[in-house]
Amino acid sequence: MTDLAVRLRGKGSALWALVAAVLSVVAICGVFLVAPEDADQGIIQKIFYFHVPIANTSLVAFGVACVAGILALRTRSPRWDEVLTASIGIGLLFAGLTIVSGSIWARASWGHWWRWDDTRLTTYLIIILIYAAFFVLRSSVEADRRARFSAIYAVIAFASVPLSFYAVRIATSFIHPVVFNSHGANLPDSMLVWFIVSQAAMLAVFIAFLLLELTQRRTESSLRRLRLALDA
Amino acid sequence: MSHGTQYVVAAYAVIWFVLMLYVAVVGLRTSRISRELELLARLVERRKADEQAAQAEGQASSSPATRP
Repeated sequence: MTDLAVRLRGKGSALWALVAAVLSVVAICGVFLVAPEDADQGIIQKIFYFHVPIANTSLVAFGVACVAGILALRTRSPRWDEVLTASIGIGLLFAGLTIVSGSIWARASWGHWWRWDDTRLTTYLIIILIYAAFFVLRSSVEADRRARFSAIYAVIAFASVPLSFYAVRIATSFIHPVVFNSHGANLPDSMLVWFIVSQAAMLAVFIAFLLLELTQRRTESSLRRLRLALDA
Repeated sequence: MSHGTQYVVAAYAVIWFVLMLYVAVVGLRTSRISRELELLARLVERRKADEQAAQAEGQASSSPATRP
């Protein structure tokens, strides 16, 4: 049954990788060949089409980790511990890419790599530090309590995600542009459609990475068990 | 290449390089796992062959024709 699950997950990750690759190629072609150039920022605005979807996907990854944490606490199944750990790892990868691509965009349009007075940037950095601390703290907890501790941490850490959004809403001054607000998207349809395709591509990349990571973890633990059984 | 284009190229290059690097790391890990699996399969085969040989030897030594 475990072997079948691993095989199905492997096939699932290959399928999602294919979907992600196709969507990414379509998104890049659409962004550079079809989407109109922004009247204000010019070509620099093209960074937006991948910077924002990557940032959103990192938050989705942290959300998945939170849900997996709740399920881990309820079921005590090691499967959910694997999901939350893998999801936080991939979320951090996406968060790192958000910071780097955002810094390049900031340098091009504001002339600075980073602004400490911008609430959205600093709260996002705090989110990254909270999740980066997860792996440090996880490795310092004894093995028998590790899964429970990780689940509680993943649930509590997710509170920082909506907090970041509220901090932006109540901030009186910030330089970071807000494209999506309570009135909807502040974008023409010709740009919005390519933003949606890019977002779908990044979500597909996340799902493919998560399934791939889970398949590997499961296979590695099966190998470890097999090695122990052979040594015995 | 214009000033703005350089930044756009840099941003896209970083994003896709890191994502491809992750895929490469996963690929390397997969090849390591398959190598280990192959090794374990060979080990199991060898053990099975040893067990069969030991069994055959045991049967041969317990048969009446070979008793003194």
